[in-house]
Amino acid sequence: MITGWDRSSSGHPGDRLLWGAARHAPGWPVLVAVAGGTATAAGLLLPDAMASGVDAALAGVTATGELGWLAVVALAVVLGDVLGVLARARATSTATAWLRTSLIQHLLRLGPFGRFPEGDAVSRLTGDCAQAGGIATVAVQLVTSALTSVGAIVALALLDWRLAVVFAASVPVAARLARGHLRRTADQVAGYQRLSGELAARLVEAVRGLRTITAAGVAEQEARRVLRPLPDLHAAGAGMWHAQAGMIWRAALLLPTVELAVLTAAGFGLLAGRLTAGEVLAALGYVALGMSLVRATPLLTSLARARVSADRLAEVLDSAPPATGAARLPAGPGRLELRGVGVADVLHEVDLVVPAGAHVAVVGVSGSGKSTLAAVAGGLRTPDRGGVLLDGVALAELDPAELRAAVGYAFDQPALLGATVADAVGYGLPVDLDGVRAAGAAAQVAPAVALLPEGWHTPLERAPLSGGEAQRLGLARAIYRRPRVLVMDDATASLDTVTEARVRSAISSVLAGRTRLVITHRVSSAAEADLVVWLADGRIRAVGPHRTLWDDPGYRAVFTEAPG
Amino acid sequence: MREPSADRLTRSGESQTRPSGASAEPGVPALTGRWYLRTLGAQWRSVLALLGWSVLESVPALVSGRLVALAVDRGFAAGAVWTGLGWLALFGALSVLGALGSRLVFHSLGGVLEPLRDALVTAVVRASLHGGDARWRPADTRVVALVTRHVEVVRDVTAGLLVQSRSLLVVTVAALVGMVGVAAGLAGLVLVPVVVTAVLYAVLLRALVRRQRALVLAEETTAGAAGAVLAGLRDVVACGAEPVAEAVVRQEISGQAAAAARLGDANAVRTLVVALGGLAPLLLVLAVAPGMVADGRLSVGAVLGVVVYLTGSVQPALRGLAETTGAAVLRLAVTLRRLAEVPAAGGADERRCGRGGEPGRRRGPVGGGRPAGPSGGDLVVRGLTFGWGARAEPVVRDLDLTVPWGEHLAVVGPSGIGKSTLASLVTGLLPAERGEVLLGGVAVTSIDPAVRHRAVMLIPQEAYVFTGTVRENLALFAGPGLSDVEDAGHPAGFSLLDNDVLLSGGPAEGLSSFDGLLLAAARAVGAAGLVARLGGLDGMVVPGELSSGEAQLIALARVYASPAGVVVLDEATSRLDPAAEAVAERAFARRGGTLVVIAHRLSSAVRADRVLVMDGGPPVVGRHEELLATSPTYAELMRAWAPGEDLYRSSR
Repeated sequence: MITGWDRSSSGHPGDRLLWGAARHAPGWPVLVAVAGGTATAAGLLLPDAMASGVDAALAGVTATGELGWLAVVALAVVLGDVLGVLARARATSTATAWLRTSLIQHLLRLGPFGRFPEGDAVSRLTGDCAQAGGIATVAVQLVTSALTSVGAIVALALLDWRLAVVFAASVPVAARLARGHLRRTADQVAGYQRLSGELAARLVEAVRGLRTITAAGVAEQEARRVLRPLPDLHAAGAGMWHAQAGMIWRAALLLPTVELAVLTAAGFGLLAGRLTAGEVLAALGYVALGMSLVRATPLLTSLARARVSADRLAEVLDSAPPATGAARLPAGPGRLELRGVGVADVLHEVDLVVPAGAHVAVVGVSGSGKSTLAAVAGGLRTPDRGGVLLDGVALAELDPAELRAAVGYAFDQPALLGATVADAVGYGLPVDLDGVRAAGAAAQVAPAVALLPEGWHTPLERAPLSGGEAQRLGLARAIYRRPRVLVMDDATASLDTVTEARVRSAISSVLAGRTRLVITHRVSSAAEADLVVWLADGRIRAVGPHRTLWDDPGYRAVFTEAPG
Repeated sequence: MREPSADRLTRSGESQTRPSGASAEPGVPALTGRWYLRTLGAQWRSVLALLGWSVLESVPALVSGRLVALAVDRGFAAGAVWTGLGWLALFGALSVLGALGSRLVFHSLGGVLEPLRDALVTAVVRASLHGGDARWRPADTRVVALVTRHVEVVRDVTAGLLVQSRSLLVVTVAALVGMVGVAAGLAGLVLVPVVVTAVLYAVLLRALVRRQRALVLAEETTAGAAGAVLAGLRDVVACGAEPVAEAVVRQEISGQAAAAARLGDANAVRTLVVALGGLAPLLLVLAVAPGMVADGRLSVGAVLGVVVYLTGSVQPALRGLAETTGAAVLRLAVTLRRLAEVPAAGGADERRCGRGGEPGRRRGPVGGGRPAGPSGGDLVVRGLTFGWGARAEPVVRDLDLTVPWGEHLAVVGPSGIGKSTLASLVTGLLPAERGEVLLGGVAVTSIDPAVRHRAVMLIPQEAYVFTGTVRENLALFAGPGLSDVEDAGHPAGFSLLDNDVLLSGGPAEGLSSFDGLLLAAARAVGAAGLVARLGGLDGMVVPGELSSGEAQLIALARVYASPAGVVVLDEATSRLDPAAEAVAERAFARRGGTLVVIAHRLSSAVRADRVLVMDGGPPVVGRHEELLATSPTYAELMRAWAPGEDLYRSSR
């Protein structure tokens, strides 16, 4: 999608991206420019055409020619405007969609261990793409505004050079009149927002405690407590309007001031015979056009923001995704081998063989690197050092699709995706309802699903799932894929010990003979495993059966860690 | 700080007179367009002032053409420069007057908008808090944060409508009126196209609003779809589902682009209509004027004046009205609709109403004439059945249970079996589908909520703490003076000051008895160290700085200090370590009254008088030692929990 993307660009790396977005579907930006040009040219001709028409009318002559010309010019303005509206919407939406598609593709390729956290990535996708996508519109509008202003001043000079001078002299004076207030209001706005935020924070706290509030019937009392900052907010808001009143007053004087100055000069021109009455009107029209650049100054901010947004997008698109291979995975028993694996400061020189078909537990205190080990072992994360082999093939060389089909993951807090509960279990694969039911039964979640309003067909957003239920659905999702290797990262932590034991034996029969790597905090889980890997500070401290390791007080201490 | 408690009781009574299954709470208005207009209407004095100043604001538009006409006819065209300049100077002066009008409009804006915002915030806060669901679901606090932003949007958009749209409307009308004054003969030529445009625009507005709404919805679904995929990126990759995820997001992205394009098309049509509507009068006037000027029916100045009105006021105002008003009205409508959904943020819409008839209401003593209200009565459950949906299997089925006054009962069972639902049913938060829950012989759902809430307290797993002093947090259910009006008092046989736990510490010198009660409660549940660390009762609680275990300690101490006779701990000690949990549970057991513990750890069962085992089959109740022999589920639970331990060693 973004082939030909040059990573070496410097300065504003987003500028190339903006060109790319414009070039992707060049028709619309070109049409935006054409429409803008038409509207600008015709707009500059309009006051002059109107002057001719008015002069003819004043002379009492029915001037079909002048009137026809006026109509043509005016219709050209309308056409340019209409075409502009149409083309701007298309140009912006096309470019935005292209940027968004490129971004989501790349984010998916970067994977979960990229350096863009979820919220940040979403804001780039929604906010920055829209900002950057509007670049053609903003640029064309800025250029046409500038052309209009320059053209209007030239037109004034052509009417009478004195008019251009008066206009040019009065604009800066009037503009200065309108400024100055901005900074003072900024402080007031900040104060208002602080109070508003405080109120929101109080409400969020109360909503978090909604069950307590409902159970105790203190909703009204708590509402009053939440609303305590309201009078201050009221006062701050009123103050803001007063400040704005001052600002508006000055801004409202801007255009009349310039108009009056030019009109007065034009009045003298009329008297001296330099101008006709129609041309006095034309002068007024050019004053309004001349101010268009002043009105367009916010567009400069938009332009700057579009470029900054494009830079933020380029930052994502320039990050190199982890390398993947294309090798196919031959049939095999599911033997995992980690060779000298290291990840940043988390894992160091991990050498480990998970025998084919074995049930291996990984234990260690919080922060010892268990989850990272799980992510690396199943190829979810590429290690910084060393490598992992599955049945003799390096994971880095495998076709990603082959790898994902061979390794199933279940997590402590799974993100369930898909339209319905059944879709969530079959996510990424064709959904076979019998298979989904079987996986749900093995994960001991089938009874909980039966309690949902529409069972397996309940839409996910309408399924009120507890943490334990979500966890078991995540487990069912991993079982449904019938993987060669099942990696469970604390995937039964929210289950009580009985349910956990049932899950364990169900998996043993459903996925009989498959390799299992289980991260756990629980003695009972470790005791059930064929082999326990004890991690400490990112290194393997010991590997052996639970019974053997249990003699070590350090090993026993792993399980007495205070529960989170 | 605190409201008088009498007021508080009646208020909370008012707000709870419906069973908790009802969807609308009295006093919480539906946030509809009508509500909005009514609230705005309540500020009619400020609105009138605003309209008055708009008249001043419209003066320049009203006189602009006429003054230009006069300046030309009597001044420049007649060779009297100074007269012409005089008229122009008058126009300048009137422009300043108009600007002054704008300024005064803004001044009176606060009088309209701030009360509107206050009313909106109040309604939103009350709707959020009254919409509470008895079943625990993670409250979507993002929605709440969004709601407060929506309130600001309503305020801003209303401001925009009142400032811009009103001003443009006033200017258009003023210019048209002024023009009729200058050249009455041309009025028809101008008014007809303007009216036709307005009608056409009104017709188009429907489509515009519809398309804009479609775009807003498309934006939300795109952000939602992308957010879900990006939040679950680890899972997407682990499932090898990148193509599926990408396809879903791409579909939303192109849907949004299409919606934007459709809106662009509608906007283009609107632009065309409005531009032609502005242009037509000008062309008509210029076509007709020569004849009228030649006839002497129209002066040169009048023609100029009309053109000034048209190009200076009517055309720009029409365009501005079309551009701003449609979007503003739509934004207002969409935002108000979002706000109207506020209670859904708390989950009220998913609540299931009880099938039992409207329960009768009784106030006052219900437990054998004791003044303590329901306190002192046994808790009796008969044939209780409840499910979450018509097609869903019941969570609780045909449960019979009697908890004598003062007993300590533990409820154990696998995750998701319905223990929390039982807690909600027992405390009257959920109406039973079949069967009943009696407290002191009276159905809990029919006890006056104000009395019930004081007598029965539920502490959920997710502790409620808020920014405020420790005292405010602890005194939430036991305000000073409460006991004066609250007949329920503390549970029978329970007096805080008799409690040996309290006496061992004793209220400190110089403390009010109320503060002493709070401190004693904190000490009893093991929160004394926490309270001291926070700086005593006057210390500040900042929820983000407390661990979840510390928050649970605050919630425990709060209920300990309350007058409740029946306390239900719904995994309320789950974030405490086992030793701290034991301290808290024993404190409640000693406190007197009935204690029901939904167990998170099995040690809770060992400590209780009796245990209720829920495992999906018929519920079993018994003492720990009995259940080990009689309930296979219980025995299995215990073995899995502590393999090889001596299960018969009671920790009590």
